[in-house]
Amino acid sequence: MPDRYLQVVEPSDNVATALRELEAGETVTVAVGDEERTIEVQEDVIFGHKIAVEDIASGETITKYGKSIGNATEDIPAGTWVHVQNVESNYGRGDLAGDEQTATVSE
Amino acid sequence: MSEFLGYERDDGSVGIRNHVAIISTAPYANDTVKRAADIIDGAVPITHPLGRCQTKPDVFQTYRTLLGYGTHPNVYGTVVVAHAGEIVDGDELAADVAETGRPSDSVNIHAEKGVMNALKRTVDSARDMVQEASAQRRVPADMSNLTFGINCATSDTTSGLCQHKATARAVWRLIDEHGGRGCFAETPEFFGGENELSERAVNDEVRDEILERVDNWDKRLQATGYDVRGAQPTPDNMDGGLTTIEEKSLGALVKSGDGPIQDIIDYGAKIPDDSGMYIMDTPGHGAESVTGIGAGGAHFMVISTGQGHTLSNAIMPTIKITGNPGSAERVPEQTDVDVSEALVGDETFDWAGDQLWDEIEKVVNGQVTLSEAMGESQFAIHRIGPST
Repeated sequence: MPDRYLQVVEPSDNVATALRELEAGETVTVAVGDEERTIEVQEDVIFGHKIAVEDIASGETITKYGKSIGNATEDIPAGTWVHVQNVESNYGRGDLAGDEQTATVSE
Repeated sequence: MSEFLGYERDDGSVGIRNHVAIISTAPYANDTVKRAADIIDGAVPITHPLGRCQTKPDVFQTYRTLLGYGTHPNVYGTVVVAHAGEIVDGDELAADVAETGRPSDSVNIHAEKGVMNALKRTVDSARDMVQEASAQRRVPADMSNLTFGINCATSDTTSGLCQHKATARAVWRLIDEHGGRGCFAETPEFFGGENELSERAVNDEVRDEILERVDNWDKRLQATGYDVRGAQPTPDNMDGGLTTIEEKSLGALVKSGDGPIQDIIDYGAKIPDDSGMYIMDTPGHGAESVTGIGAGGAHFMVISTGQGHTLSNAIMPTIKITGNPGSAERVPEQTDVDVSEALVGDETFDWAGDQLWDEIEKVVNGQVTLSEAMGESQFAIHRIGPST
C-alpha cells in the first residue's frame, strides 16, 4: 500500500509532498501515477516539504503539478529533501540583469 | 438556497453588511478619521498614507480605490475627511459617492479651521448615518448579486493540494449555479502558470492582456535591480515547503478553478456586473491585493491559507479556510473553516467545498466572521511609482 501521506500530484512529477514528518532511514512506498515506488528517506523532512521520488541530476527540471518548478542545482538522489538548498527558480533573474548570464533565462 | 438576506442600495447593488465608512483622503486627515470612528460605534475608518505628492497614475489608483470603498455594496453611507486642497479632492470624492444614492458628506480640516471642529463635524455626520443605517432591514435578494473575492495568504504546500480546491469549488458554484461573480488577483503569482491561465480567457484580447500584464510585472520587478526570487516565495512560504515562485504560482492558481476568465481589470477598478470569473491586476502583497478586490466591490473574501493569517478587510467580511491540519491548532482565531480532513483524513474535496459554501451562506446572511468579531482589518492601497 502506498503511503497516503506522500502525495505526488501528476505522474510526470519527480517530487512528492510529505503530509507527515519523515525520518531519515525510513522506507516509504510512494504512488507515482499507477506505479508504486519504494524509497529510502535520506534525511528528516518536515510536514509540507518535498522529497525526490527518483534520482535527479544537477541541472535537471524539478516537476510538480506536471510542470517545471525550477532546476536542480546539484545531484538529488531519490529520498532527498528537495527545497531551496538544492533547487533554483527559473523566474525573475533580476540579479543577473546586465550580466551575460541573463541569456540563460529559460521559460 | 438561491436567495440571501441583504441590504438594498439605490444603485441596484445589495450589501451583506451595512457599514458607515469614514474615509481619509490624505495622511493628514487620518487622525481625525480614526478619532471619529473611535467615538461612533458602527463607523469604519479608512486610512492610508497616500493621496498627495503622487504622479497621475497613482492619483487615479488611490482615488479609484477610495471611491470603491465609499460606494461598496456593504456601505450605507460615507463621510470623506480631507486635510486641505489635496490632489485627491474630498468634495469630489463625496460627490461621486452621492451619485450612487448613498448619504455622503465632506469635511475639510482647513475649511473647518482645525482638527477639533473637523472632528465634531465628522462625528455628527457619521452618527446620523449610523442611526439611519440601523433602521434599514435585510430583505430577500438573489444570489446572482454576489461577488466572491479570492486571495491566498501564508501559502504552503497544502494550499495548492487542498484548500484552494475547496475555494475553487465554492466560487464556481456561485458562478455556475447562481449567476454570481468571482474575482482573484495577485498577478506576480501567475509566474510559471501564466500560459495555461491565459488559455482560459474568453477571447484572444483577454488572453493577450493577461500575458502582457504578467510580463509588465516581471519587467517592473526586474527594473528594481533585484531578483523576484529574493522576495518570493516569502520566508513563511518557504517554511511551509514552497521552494520557488513557480511552485507557489502553480499552487496559487488552483484556487481559481479551471473555468473561463472574462477579463483582467485594473487595480481597485469595479468588478463588472456580468456573471463569471474576473482577474484583478494586483501585487502578491496580501493587504494591497485584498484592498484592491474590496474596492472592486466584492461582497466577501475567502482567504485560502496554509499556515494561517490575520489578513482581513473591514468592509468585506473575510472567511479564512485552511487545509493544513496544524493551522487550526496554531492559529484558531484565523481559522473559520478547517478542511484538512480532505487532505489527511477520509473526506473528499467536494466535502471541503461544501464546508466552505455552508460558511459563506451564513456570512452573507449576517453571521460575522472571526476577524470581524475581533475587529481585525488591514487597508493598504498599492502604489505604482515613487512619491513626488
